[in-house]
Amino acid sequence: MNPTTAMYVAQGMHGLAYGMILFLVASGLNIIFGMMGILNLAHASFFMLSAYFSYQFLSMTGNFWVALLFAPVATAFFGILMERFLLRKIHALGHMGELIITVGVSLVILAGVKIFWGTESLPLSIPPVLTGLVSIAGMDYPVYRLFIIALSLVVLAIMVLLLYKTRLGKIVRAAVSDADMVNALGINMPRVFMIVFGVGTWLAGVAGVAIAPILLVFPGLADQMGMDAFVVVVTGGLGSLSGALIVSIIFGLLSSYGVQFLSQFAPLLMFIFMAIVLAIKPTGFFGERE
Amino acid sequence: MTNNVFKWSLWTALVAVLAVYPKLFGIYYTNLFVTFAVFAIFSVSFNLLLGYTGLLSFGHAMFFGVGGYGTALALKHIRGLPLLPAVLIGLVSAAVLALILCPLVVRVSGTAFAMLHLAFGQLMYMLAYKLRGITGGEDGIGGFPIPPFGIPGVVSIDMRAPENFYYFAIVVLGISLWMMWFFTKTPFGQIQVGVRDNAMRIDYMGFKVPQTKAVVYVVAGAFAGVAGSIYALFQNLISSGALDIFTSFTPVTMTMIGGIGSFLGPVLGAAVIQLMEELTTRFTQQVELVVGVILILVILFVPMGFVGLGRSLRQKWSARSALRANLGKPS
Repeated sequence: MNPTTAMYVAQGMHGLAYGMILFLVASGLNIIFGMMGILNLAHASFFMLSAYFSYQFLSMTGNFWVALLFAPVATAFFGILMERFLLRKIHALGHMGELIITVGVSLVILAGVKIFWGTESLPLSIPPVLTGLVSIAGMDYPVYRLFIIALSLVVLAIMVLLLYKTRLGKIVRAAVSDADMVNALGINMPRVFMIVFGVGTWLAGVAGVAIAPILLVFPGLADQMGMDAFVVVVTGGLGSLSGALIVSIIFGLLSSYGVQFLSQFAPLLMFIFMAIVLAIKPTGFFGERE
Repeated sequence: MTNNVFKWSLWTALVAVLAVYPKLFGIYYTNLFVTFAVFAIFSVSFNLLLGYTGLLSFGHAMFFGVGGYGTALALKHIRGLPLLPAVLIGLVSAAVLALILCPLVVRVSGTAFAMLHLAFGQLMYMLAYKLRGITGGEDGIGGFPIPPFGIPGVVSIDMRAPENFYYFAIVVLGISLWMMWFFTKTPFGQIQVGVRDNAMRIDYMGFKVPQTKAVVYVVAGAFAGVAGSIYALFQNLISSGALDIFTSFTPVTMTMIGGIGSFLGPVLGAAVIQLMEELTTRFTQQVELVVGVILILVILFVPMGFVGLGRSLRQKWSARSALRANLGKPS
């Protein structure tokens, strides 16, 4: 295989890995929106929080797997706290207040991260098992990127199983179409909301741990990822998981090939893509509601 | 009659206080007041969208920033441009941006409107950040000439003196505030409130909802541009920071804290935030923490903001005094 093709394939891999991470964050955002009608602007802050937790667990135990297991759970715990003690209290007042309270939470998380871990970038190394390259069919792939893609696929599979094969999944799918009706049928909706919020932040947490070793962990991480995830959700259609998956992968590829061909203007591609999609279909690719 | 006298004496008192303010408080607090006034106008223009038309925007900073860049670029490149046309260029550039965006954004509302603005705001920020040749990126455009304010051959006032600039800024922002107030009081302003409360009904009554939204959008954008323009002149600097997400959240915070239900709510909110930042920076670096916590507490406990709190307290008080008056009467 000639070097040019190899480079394209490598860029494609980078794009795919980033796209899958983007999907993990965006799917959490999307599930929460689909269920509760809240666009959680603090979602990316939870993603960042998890990256910091991962750093903390790693420096305490030195074991990546411990971090991968516990950091998202710790993040989900904070997410559940937020749902239980902030969002639930103002749910009756409409979405505007909820949207703005998530802004407040994101500011508090940003400040908290700066207080506990400082403002400088923290480096995390890729766990030794996952370093290096693996060659498949005469091509070298970085193991860690493959790991990210595999991890995301596993999480995706778990999500699909949860949604379509369990009782909870059935309730969630029913609640997406009409939460009031499900509530009227005698299902404890506040508890379902809490679980869904927990799962959503857990997804962001997994993405945070997975991406920490290839990016630096710093307080601007949330802005960087948050913007991308919001664009994905809006473009893919609010509340649509398959839309989020497709658009995440498109954006991942767009950004990795964009960097190669347009260098500094690559971040603009995403927004232009979004503007075109929304100009044609204001609800996004697969969205049915605004 | 007495009511009218009272009103006029209140206005005179306000003008008198504003006139002697720099003499009384000195240069530091004069500059602080200009900053407050800029953000107050920015927030009031934001509230034209949120409070009056029910459109929450997370990208209002783009009009603020573009207004600032318009003025700064014009002063940098056009030699001998007078002051007022420079501010006007700021206004027009923000209005043009709003005109370009409005066919796209008036079709959506609610969360989609908010998110679309988050994205467009970020797009503008990215452009300002990346197009170093034009905007100077993160360092911005600074040190452009500040022309004197004057009528040719009659008078010329040097605007580089902070005190003179204070008067200029207060007058321009005061006029903007009055114009926005007037705008909400016109019959058109009533349609605007109708769009917020029940868009479908306004549609049935024969008014055009998207067009109404578009007009409000352009007006709100233009006044945010004026605020940005004055801000750029005041700092003698405009950088990509004026377009970033935190600048977009500033009017959201100020409006929520002051109260979305009233015209002057955002002004009160701006004053509260400004004082709060001023006080917190003396004790701690964690301005974000303080702002975030205040935002959460306000939404939890006083969702209509301080103006709403004042109103409900007054209602309670008047109900109680009415009750007391009734109880006093022999039945």
